[in-house]
Amino acid sequence: MALPDDAKEQILKMLEDKGKMKSKFYFNDFTKIFEDGKPREVKKILTTLVNEGVLIFWSSGSTTMYGLAGAGKQSAGEGEA
Amino acid sequence: MAKHKTPLLDQLESGPWPSFVSDIKQECDSRAKNVNGIDYQVAADCPDDLLGVLELSYKDGETHWKHGGIVGVFGYGGGVIGRYCDQPEMFPSVAHFHTVRVNQPSGKYYSTEFLGSLCDLWELRGSGLTNMHGATGDIVFIGTTTPQLEEIFYELTHNLETDLGGSGSNLRTPATCLGMSRCEYACYDTQGLCHDMTNEYQDELHRPAFPYKFKFKFDGCPNGCVASIARSDFSVMGTWRDSLRIDQKAVAAYVAGEIAPNAGAHSGRDWGKFDIQAEVIDLCPSQCLSYEGGKLLIDAKECVRCMHCINTMPQACRIGEDTGAMIFCGAKSPILDGAQMGSLLMPFVVVDEGNEYREIKDVVEGIWDFWMEEGKNRERLGETMKRMGFQAIIKAAGVPFDVRQVQEPRTNPYIFWKAEDVTGGWDNDIADYRKRHKL
Amino acid sequence: MAFISSGYNPAKPMENRITDIGPKHFEQFLPEMCKKNFGKWLYHEILEPGVLMHKAESGDEIYTVRFGGARLMTITHIREICAIADKYCGGKLRFTTRNNIELMVETKDAALKLKAYLNAQKFDGGSQKFPVGGTGAGVTNIVHTQGWVHCHTPATDASGTVKATMDAVFEEFTNMRLPAPVRISMACCLNMCGAVHCSDIAILGIHRKPPMIDHKILDNICEVPLAVAACPTGAIRPTKIEIDGEKYNTVAVKNERCMFCGNCYTMCPAMPLADAQGDGIALMVGGKISNRISHPAFSRVVVPFIPNEPPRWPTMTATVKKILDVYAADAKKYERLGDWACRIGWERFFEKCDLEFTEHLIDDFRDPAYYTWRQTSQFKF
Repeated sequence: MALPDDAKEQILKMLEDKGKMKSKFYFNDFTKIFEDGKPREVKKILTTLVNEGVLIFWSSGSTTMYGLAGAGKQSAGEGEA
Repeated sequence: MAKHKTPLLDQLESGPWPSFVSDIKQECDSRAKNVNGIDYQVAADCPDDLLGVLELSYKDGETHWKHGGIVGVFGYGGGVIGRYCDQPEMFPSVAHFHTVRVNQPSGKYYSTEFLGSLCDLWELRGSGLTNMHGATGDIVFIGTTTPQLEEIFYELTHNLETDLGGSGSNLRTPATCLGMSRCEYACYDTQGLCHDMTNEYQDELHRPAFPYKFKFKFDGCPNGCVASIARSDFSVMGTWRDSLRIDQKAVAAYVAGEIAPNAGAHSGRDWGKFDIQAEVIDLCPSQCLSYEGGKLLIDAKECVRCMHCINTMPQACRIGEDTGAMIFCGAKSPILDGAQMGSLLMPFVVVDEGNEYREIKDVVEGIWDFWMEEGKNRERLGETMKRMGFQAIIKAAGVPFDVRQVQEPRTNPYIFWKAEDVTGGWDNDIADYRKRHKL
Repeated sequence: MAFISSGYNPAKPMENRITDIGPKHFEQFLPEMCKKNFGKWLYHEILEPGVLMHKAESGDEIYTVRFGGARLMTITHIREICAIADKYCGGKLRFTTRNNIELMVETKDAALKLKAYLNAQKFDGGSQKFPVGGTGAGVTNIVHTQGWVHCHTPATDASGTVKATMDAVFEEFTNMRLPAPVRISMACCLNMCGAVHCSDIAILGIHRKPPMIDHKILDNICEVPLAVAACPTGAIRPTKIEIDGEKYNTVAVKNERCMFCGNCYTMCPAMPLADAQGDGIALMVGGKISNRISHPAFSRVVVPFIPNEPPRWPTMTATVKKILDVYAADAKKYERLGDWACRIGWERFFEKCDLEFTEHLIDDFRDPAYYTWRQTSQFKF
């Protein structure tokens, strides 16, 4: 099943809505937005957003999360802001 | 003159085993002298500071490293692990000291030319300290700064034609035994399959979209030199379906003591004369061997291919000719729900380069589709299997059910029957029932 | 230091970017003999410790000399290995899964000369640079993790414990006199990025104190929901506390549920758990990965805790040596350490190895625990 045309906007909206609580999200948090979305379709949009510099990865070494570039408390904490 | 006094670490310079302390001191000297006039892109004395911070840990029994999750190369979700020292004033040259994982060639063979180029790159842009290799199999570069990451990646891809390895919720850098390149036990081309699968799944390796890490490992035979059955979510292990091959002349030579048993692996102790009955026949786990009239006989149908007779008499016993691989899935170390060994998903699959290993890839992709939809965050495949049942994975993989997939059938009758399993389904008519049964 | 550009343009990261190319193809790195006889090997022999001969159907023979290396290795050391490979074996070499290095030559004579040369090379500090061995029924190199050298959650060091252990068992690296191969592995915390759980002997760093909580800074450097979600046992919850009249958003840890994994510290630097008194080593034994004779098996914890004793961890290495020596003297030929312990019974294993059995060694972690309790009248007094 294809994703809706405004899938990208929906992803960004979710990041902003929930951004007050936390800045990083697991891949699964994005697939949950779309009822019929296949994970691989969602991944394509996330990859586009990463390549556009909108999203960045955060890795614990064993797991990886996505977040808005520059958002969150960790950027400053790591001195990489 | 050493930058930091390291009396505790110095005690690790004695003794026969190669001392990493002595080795790091060599690197300190080399960078201090800098005979080739290199314009080091990270602090020249960072190996000195690494020894300094390690000495401090030896003194107070606690690590001095902090994790960093943001650093990486543009567009990739893995391959770089951020590291910061928690005493940056004392050890400024390792204040930012990130790890870079570089994808190793299948089977870890190198030319000195290629290794030399890696060394040159890492001398210019990093600490000169490496792991050969990391636990998953990567070449690990230990210690560089953030501005160097893109430069290293650019040089790796443009000049060395080599990519980064995996970390995080990715496909991790696949690993293989040396396979057919130098081993008579290899039942399929482990290196070929590993290289092909690594390249096929580059997107999965660099851009995380899994619930957790996922590892491929490729063993050429049941001896399992890369530990695929214990360490990989998807283990491909060589096997064969026909009879192992026996050379009776060589059997006689082993019995007569003309060939050293075990390929010489036990030669450091006098274990007495080789006793084929006690050492081979009696130890066969399925009791499918016998030694009669000077001949080694096998009931091949009963053989479980444990490799013992082959390992013990490699000149007399060889793997069969109808070779292929088994697939085990779901192995992991104990975190979190306890350790899991790989469970047998496919008893046999032909490893066919001709169709680009399509059959194996279909199985992998079926499992991934399922796991990406059903797996919980930070749940390894093995844990999803435990939670949802082996049946679910077998179905997702699109392979048939087989008694070989279990050690024994279930010991409880609590079968989750589904409506389609039962004649007439579940939509019973209570009125119809009442015709036969009064309240 | 002047910044030297590789050609990368930070303003346009996608310009001329090469991605997703994977590793170089292995074939170009194979020694000629391996390329020529690929898939056509007949058998092998271990001529002496660290020296193997592989015979091909063509009649070709290739001689391999295997030597150990510290996994933490500098480019100076790698270059020296490369120089040896250039001189003796046509510029090709290989690393094994267990951090050994292999050089391949075409005659037995060349192999033995190479072995003698390698064994004679020493670091200034006195240790051997390239000890030859690690074959057959002996101890081969230890696979391990980063430890205090470069990890943020280790409970011990890896390179140091490995160096100390290999010094203690060095004779078994250069000999082949054990009943079967013994694989020793080391991981510096229970997350086991070194996956030591199927080793004959596993050296495992463990923490024993729950994380400290730096309440005053937690909310500034961590995101509370992420710290909460990081805990695999659900022991962390958000809370508010008051210190000196100031209110802080922070977390609380249910200490009795903590499994000491350090995942919260990875997500939140305000929750460190390293502690010199709390941290140390557990020993596990009896695992294997090979399918030879018996099934692959997990290692079992036989020593729940040994304090860290840097720089040489004498109690830990003595315990490892003791287990190894008792096994070597008592096991039957071909019996792996775990097979031996299961045959004589774990009650006898603890007795023979002079190890104390304590309550910490009875499994109480989730489902698998039940299957380890004894449910038969068959045991030994």
